[in-house]
Order: sequence, then C-alpha cells, then structure tokens
Amino acid sequence: MKKFKIRGDITVVTVVIFIVCIVLVSVMFMQFRTIEQTEITQIETMRESELRTALSEWKTKYEELEKQLEEIDDKINEYNETIENNEETAKLIDEELKESNILVGKTDVEGEGVIITLNNNSKNVKAYDLIDLVNELRYAGAEAISINNTRVLAMTDIIDMANDTYIMVNLERLEGAPYVIKAIGNKEYISSILSLKGSGFIDRATTNGLTASLEVKNKIEIPKYNGEIKIEYMKELVKE
Amino acid sequence: MIFIAILLGCLIGALIGINMPIISYTYSGYLAIAIIAALDSVFGGISSTLNKNFDLKVFVSGFFGNAILSILLTYLGQKLNVDIYLAAIVVFVGRMFNNLAIIRRYYLNKWTIDRQKNIKNNKKVQQKDIK
Repeated sequence: MKKFKIRGDITVVTVVIFIVCIVLVSVMFMQFRTIEQTEITQIETMRESELRTALSEWKTKYEELEKQLEEIDDKINEYNETIENNEETAKLIDEELKESNILVGKTDVEGEGVIITLNNNSKNVKAYDLIDLVNELRYAGAEAISINNTRVLAMTDIIDMANDTYIMVNLERLEGAPYVIKAIGNKEYISSILSLKGSGFIDRATTNGLTASLEVKNKIEIPKYNGEIKIEYMKELVKE
Repeated sequence: MIFIAILLGCLIGALIGINMPIISYTYSGYLAIAIIAALDSVFGGISSTLNKNFDLKVFVSGFFGNAILSILLTYLGQKLNVDIYLAAIVVFVGRMFNNLAIIRRYYLNKWTIDRQKNIKNNKKVQQKDIK
C-alpha cells in the first residue's frame, strides 16, 4: 500500500473512501433492483419508439371506439325518440278514447245548454213528442241529451207502452209528467231554434195541447248511461 | 487498511442497497446518470493515485459534485426536451475509458519492467553459475 503515495492523513482518507464506497454501492444496488423489478412490467423496459407505436395504436383504437360510442348513442337517441312518439300516440289514443266515451255517453258530462219541461195540458205527452223534441235538439247541435235524467244515446228507444199509459226510454219506465229534457250544446242556437215562431218545438207543443217551457242555463249536468252497450251482431267491415 | 475500508464499504453498501425501497422507474434514469458520474470519479481517483497526484478534496468534490450536477442537467434536459443525459454519458464514459487506459498502461509498464529485471537477474545468476 505504501507504494501509492497519498497526500493527507491516512485515516481521513480511509474514512472518506469507506463512506464513498457505501454510498456508491448502495445506490448501485438500488438501481439494480429497480431495473430488475421493472423488467417484470414489460412496458417500461420497451424502447421509446416501441412505446410510441403502441401509443399510436391505442390512440387509433380509442378513436374507433369513440366513433362506435357515438353511433350507439345516436341509436339510443333514436330509440328514445320512438319511445316518446309511442307515448305521444298512446296519449292521443287515450284522449280519443275519452272523447269517444263522452260522445257515446259513458261519462257524466256538463256544459252550457237548455232545459225543456214538458207537461200534460189538454193532451198527454206521447213518445212521439219526445222523439220530435230529441230530433230537433239533435238538429240544433245538442251534444248530450237526457230525458228525466236518463241519457239518450244513439240506440235509445222512446216508445209508448201499455196503451199510452207510460213511456219507456232505454227500456226503462219513465215517471209520468212533467218530463224534463236536458240538452248540452250551444244554448243560444238551440233556444233560438226551439222557440222559432210557428215551426219551433215550443210553439208546436203548445198548439198540440201541451205546456212546454224553455230554460237556458250556463251549466247543466247530464248523467252517464247506466246500462251496458253490447255489440253482438255487428263488426267492423274491413275493406280489402 | 484502505483496501479493508473499500471491502467493508462495499459490503455494507450492498446490504443497505438491497434493503432500500425501490424507487420509481422515472427517477432511476437520474440515479443511473449519478452512478456513472460517481464511477467516473472513482476511476479518476484510481488513476490519479497511480500518478501520485491524488487529492482527497478533488476526489470527494468530484464524486458528489459530478453526481448531483449530472442529475440536475438530466432534469433540465427533460424539461427542455433535450437528451442532455446522453452528453453526460459520453463525457463520463469517455473519461472512464481514458482513466482505465492510464491504469492499464501503468500496470503493463510495471509488468514489462519487472519481467526485464527478472530476465536480467536470471542471466546474472546463470552467468554466475557458469563461472
């Protein structure tokens, strides 16, 4: 050892070289272990160019997937729109159903209209008078009609029964006079038609020996038809 | 005594290094540059010892200073997007080869001189024997 002449205190040199050795070797071993460990995860040992190509591949894949995602989103939107449309049609059908129920007479209805009270005077009220009145009301555009709170429908029958002792409406016996007929519709139009001089129903009824009074109201309630509407023989004709 | 210190230092350093936690891969690049710088200083120290102009202050300052400087330069290079660590590696490894060449020549010289001396001595012995 003495052939290497070293300047300075030999112990100081020894200690310093000792420390330097510790630092250098420990750092080297750390590095070795790091490199060994990272070789397990291959990505980080790949060269930069390889990583670049892999990155670009992933990017293209990502873009493709993004496109697909967009397409699928569009499809989902379309489906949602059709669902909404279906809901709309369902709503429309519902409204139509309500309307037709109202028209057919399956619901209680209210609205402006007129109330006509028919009573016996010199003659008794016959079914024909009621039919005449209903016809005239329909002609005047009445939407709902009831006789003594019995709803008058499309297939309603109004007939004299048992030698004209009582009148049947909807196969139900009516109480005797007075007969109260309610009609919902344009109240002014109906009242003007009914009270036409000479040809109006009121005039004709009085000339026929009955008493008829007309009452115009802003709100009339007409009950629904209580029976069942049966369809036994007819069915829809499908034109080919 | 210095050799014992080197051996002991290497052993303890290896133990510490094995038990140290693993640093992340991104920082291992800096560490590698630091190791190269430190190794360069070590070989420089050996060659200067052989040339009999070893200075402890120069050695220690070079050992730590070069390591830290190379780490800083590598960091700067990464920030500037320039591979400065390549320049550091070229410089340090080039100097390492230089120093290794100096060491090699020193021992080659020594070896050839010894052999020549031996040959001369042998010849003298032979001549004596012949006489």
